[in-house]
Amino acid sequence: MTDTENLVTRLPNDIGGLPADRIEIVDHELEAWEKRCHALADVLDFQKIINTEEKRCGVEALGAEMVGKLSYYERWIVAFANILFRKQILTPTELALKMAEVEARCP
Amino acid sequence: MSQTLHDHDHAHDHPAIEQAARPGYYEMLETAVRELLVEKKLIAADEIRRQIEVLDSRTPALGARIVARAWVDPDFRARLLADGRAACEECGISFYDDTSLIVVENTDKIHNLIVCTLCSCYPRPVLGLPPDWYKLKPYRARAVSDPRAVLAEFGTIIPDNIEVRVHDSTAMVRYLVLPKRPEGTENYAEEQLAALVTRDTMIGVAPAQIQGSAS
Repeated sequence: MTDTENLVTRLPNDIGGLPADRIEIVDHELEAWEKRCHALADVLDFQKIINTEEKRCGVEALGAEMVGKLSYYERWIVAFANILFRKQILTPTELALKMAEVEARCP
Repeated sequence: MSQTLHDHDHAHDHPAIEQAARPGYYEMLETAVRELLVEKKLIAADEIRRQIEVLDSRTPALGARIVARAWVDPDFRARLLADGRAACEECGISFYDDTSLIVVENTDKIHNLIVCTLCSCYPRPVLGLPPDWYKLKPYRARAVSDPRAVLAEFGTIIPDNIEVRVHDSTAMVRYLVLPKRPEGTENYAEEQLAALVTRDTMIGVAPAQIQGSAS
């Protein structure tokens, strides 16, 4: 199989069976925002705004570079923003203004 | 998140609250998305708080209780293997994420292992949130193609005459391993048995063991 065929048949999340490093048995206590992000994901699912499969697809749509470089919950929150834009629930302008507001109230 | 200092009308018997570090980009993004959804009344702030409480209440101790019960009660074991979710709900464990649960039993001939190759699906109602290694590429990539080597990296050697079955989770279907009851526990009470059941035994990367024993 050529390199480009592999790109077509294997999306970024589809890594089952690929060669990979030794297992490193690592874990960390979730940061407060990571736990809020997880709770947000669950609530978005309960409210039928974004379900688990849409979230997984949203992460995949970030592309291999972001999937590789962002941490787990970083991928989730970026995917949520993109999905909410696509569903016309939020606009990029609204989010940019809210981000500026959040940033301004941080010391 | 912004943090307001409390009024100092009490004696200081708690440690000083450290100055909160300035939130990073992704934390601010989380706050912004959440606040916009609350402002639009699509979600309630209270729902997030309550869900954090739900998440905090789910730990592998719940799964351990289910396993111990299955070890001592053959009828419950049969119900658990027939419909994992219904048997857990019978024990008061709610499935807040609307997933089904398939419980797979380790025997003298079969060892089961669970994975989510696509991402991080996991039986969260009964085990809580998955550990980082479960979500990282090496485990997701190799558990399905080289499970014996993966298990060996956790210190678990499965003899060649035991079949290894790997179960790949999905958004809707989750798995839980019912580990083998350790030998020498015939006189254990249910609670003592539950104490032998760790998270890793229910993922399938380790056997349940009498504490302190090396197999």
